[in-house]
Amino acid sequence: MTRMTTAAVTAALLLTASTAALAAEPIRVGVVTPLSGTYTPIGQQVRWGLELAAKEINAAGGVAGRPLELMFEDEEANPAVAVQKAEKLFQVGKVDFLTGTVNSGSTLAVGQVAERNDRLIATTVSFADSITADKCSPNVFRVNARAGQQSAALAEWLSKEKPKSKVFYLGPDYEMGRSTVAAFKKAATDKGSAEVGEVFAPLDNKDYSQYFGQLRASRPAVLYTSVAGNDTVRLLSQMEEYGLLKNLLVVGASGTVTSQNIGAIGKAAEGFVTGVGYSPEIDTPANKAFVKAFTAAYGKDPDLYGADSYGLLYFYKAAVEKAGATDTASVRKAMEGIQWATPQGTKTMRAGDHQAVQDMYAVRVTGGKFTIVGSVPGEAAIGPDACTKF
Amino acid sequence: MLIDRAPAPTLPRARDAVHAIAVLFFTAALALGALGWWAGDSFYLRLATEALIFAGLAMSVDILLGYTGLLSLGQALWFGVGAYTSAVILRDVAASFWLAMGATLVVTTLAGTVGGLIANRVKGVYFALITFGLAQVVAKVVYNTRELGASDGLIGVPEITIPLGFATVDAANPAGFFLLVLALVALLYAGLAYLMDAPFGRTLIAIRANEKRVPFLGFNPLVHRMLAYVLAANVAALAGALYPMLRGFVSPELLFFQTSGNAVITVIVGGVGTLIGPVVGSVLLTALRSVVGTWTEHHLIVIGVLFMLSVVVMPKGLVGAVRPWLQRRLSGSESPR
Repeated sequence: MTRMTTAAVTAALLLTASTAALAAEPIRVGVVTPLSGTYTPIGQQVRWGLELAAKEINAAGGVAGRPLELMFEDEEANPAVAVQKAEKLFQVGKVDFLTGTVNSGSTLAVGQVAERNDRLIATTVSFADSITADKCSPNVFRVNARAGQQSAALAEWLSKEKPKSKVFYLGPDYEMGRSTVAAFKKAATDKGSAEVGEVFAPLDNKDYSQYFGQLRASRPAVLYTSVAGNDTVRLLSQMEEYGLLKNLLVVGASGTVTSQNIGAIGKAAEGFVTGVGYSPEIDTPANKAFVKAFTAAYGKDPDLYGADSYGLLYFYKAAVEKAGATDTASVRKAMEGIQWATPQGTKTMRAGDHQAVQDMYAVRVTGGKFTIVGSVPGEAAIGPDACTKF
Repeated sequence: MLIDRAPAPTLPRARDAVHAIAVLFFTAALALGALGWWAGDSFYLRLATEALIFAGLAMSVDILLGYTGLLSLGQALWFGVGAYTSAVILRDVAASFWLAMGATLVVTTLAGTVGGLIANRVKGVYFALITFGLAQVVAKVVYNTRELGASDGLIGVPEITIPLGFATVDAANPAGFFLLVLALVALLYAGLAYLMDAPFGRTLIAIRANEKRVPFLGFNPLVHRMLAYVLAANVAALAGALYPMLRGFVSPELLFFQTSGNAVITVIVGGVGTLIGPVVGSVLLTALRSVVGTWTEHHLIVIGVLFMLSVVVMPKGLVGAVRPWLQRRLSGSESPR
C-alpha cells in the first residue's frame, strides 16, 4: 500500500534514526482531513499542528519508546469520502488512532466507522455540540472547545462587562446559524441579559440595511451575530456607514470575524468580541514556545485548529503511556479523565461525554488584531454532561 | 461461455459485443469477490460494493443521456431520495431490507413523476439546468431540515440482515453484501438492457435521434420521456437505498452536484449508451480515486487530466472503444458499424 507519509515526518524519523525509538514498531495515527476544497486552510493548520507535535515527540523518544507515524488522507470535507478513507486507514493502513475530520457530519460518520471497527478517533476542529452530547460515541473524543463552551465563555464575559444588557440577535438563516443564535441566547439569558429583538437574514445576503430600522428601534446595547465570511464584511461595513456601531457592542460566534475576513472588514471590525478556546496571544511560556516553533517551521501563526491538533498528539501520548498499551479498551479507559498539557494550558478529558474541559478566552479586535480581554475557567464554560450513551 | 460465436446472420448486432463485455465484467467481479473473501479482506470488498452502488446511479444517467438524449445534471437527487428514504425506514421504522426497497420505489415513483413533469417541459440545455436546479433545491432543503439531520446527516442506520428466501445475507459481512449488490446491479443491467432492446427502448433512441418525427410513427414522445425519467429516477433511488446499508449513514453531500457530476463523468468515461460502460467506469474511477487520493492531495488534478485524456483518446468511452474490435472478433469478417 502506498502511504502518504509526509516529508516532515520522514525527516523527523531520519533525525531520530540513531535513537532507540526507531527500533520499535511505530504507532500509526491516521489523519482524515480536507486537503483540497473549501476547507483546505483548516486542513492545512491541522496538518501543521500534528506534524510539529509528531516531530517533537519523536525527537524526544516517541510514545512509550515507539515513534509516531502520521498517515494522511484527503476527505474533501465530504462525509461519504471521509468514511471510505477512514476504513482504508483502519483496515489497510492498520492505524492505531485516527483524527483530522473537520465538518461535524464527517466526524459523526467517521465516529460510527470507528465504533464498527473498534478503534478510537478524536476531532480537533468540529464544534457541533451534538458530537459530545446527544450523538456522543464511546469511541469519539473531542479535544477542542465545542460551540457551547464558546458561547458560555462569551456570555460569562458579557455578564461581567455589561451586566443585564439588552441584546439584539442577527443570524444567518440556515440550520447552523439558527442553532448558534439559540445556544448563545440561552447562555446570555441565563446570565441575566434581555432579548430585545431577533432577525435571520438569508445566507449570502447582499443588503442588511432592511434590518437596521428594527435594530435601531429596539435600542440594544449589544448585538450578537453569527454570520460568517463575506456576510460579516457586508454587515459590519453597512452598519458603520449607517453610524450604527456607535454605543453598540458587537459580539459574535468564533467564525464571524476571522483572520481571513478581518482585512476586508477593516475599521468596522474594531471592538468586536468573541469567545474562543485559543489565541496566539496567550501569555504563557508553553504557548510562546509553541508559537515560535510553529512560525519558524511553517511561516504562519497557528490558529485554534493548529493549536488543538498539536495538543491532540500529546493527549494520545499521555493516554498510551498511562495505559501501557495501544489497544482500544485500555486507551479509552486511560483517556477518560486524563489531564494533559497544551499550549492553551492544562486540559481535562471529561469521562462522561469525552469532551475536553479547558479555559476559554474572550478576545476583542483592537487595532486589527485579536487581544485577550478576559478568560473564563474551564469549569464555568463546560456546561452539563448531556451524553447518555455510555 | 454464453457468447454465440457463430457469425450473425444478417446485421452485425451491436449489443452482442456489449453483452460479452457485461458477462466478462460480472465474471471478473465474481472471481475478484471470491478472492477477496478467501483473503479475508474487508476494505476492498466494501470499496467495490460502493463502486457498484454508484454504478447504479451512473446507469440511470445513461438511460437518460445515452438512450433518450437528455443530460441530467441532477441525478444525485434521486440517489439521495433513495438513500434518505432507506435510512429513515431502517433507522426509525423497521430494519427490513424489503420494506426499505419497497418504500424507496413508491416514494421515488411519486416524487419522480412530479419532478419529471417539471423537467420534461423543456429540452436540451434547459433540461440540464432544470434537473440541476431541482437537485440543488432539494439538497438545500435537506441541508436545513433538522428532522433529516440537517448538515450533519443521519447516522446510526443499523446493520441489517437481509432474508432472501433461500439464504440470509448480513449487510455487515463484506463478501455477502458485495455479492448481493453485485447480483442486484447485474439484474438491473439485464432488465434495462432488455428494455432498451424492446420497442420501448427503440422509441427512446428515436427520441434522441429526432424527437419531432416520433409522433409520425404513432408514439407520444412526452409519455416516453416521462417513463424514461421515472425509470431512471427509480434506478438511481434503488442504488441510493443500498448506500446507508453499506455505510450506516446518509449526508446531504450525497445530493450535491459533486455526486451528479461524478455520475455523468463515469458514464462518459465508461461509454455513453452502453449501460455496461457506466458500471465499468464506476469501478475504474472509484479504484483510481482511492489509489490516487492516497498518493497525493492533488488527486483532483490527476483525475481531471486523465478524464480529458480519455475523452480525447476514446470519445466513445472505454466500452465504445473496445466494441468495434470485439464486434469484429464475434462476427467474423463483417465490418464494424
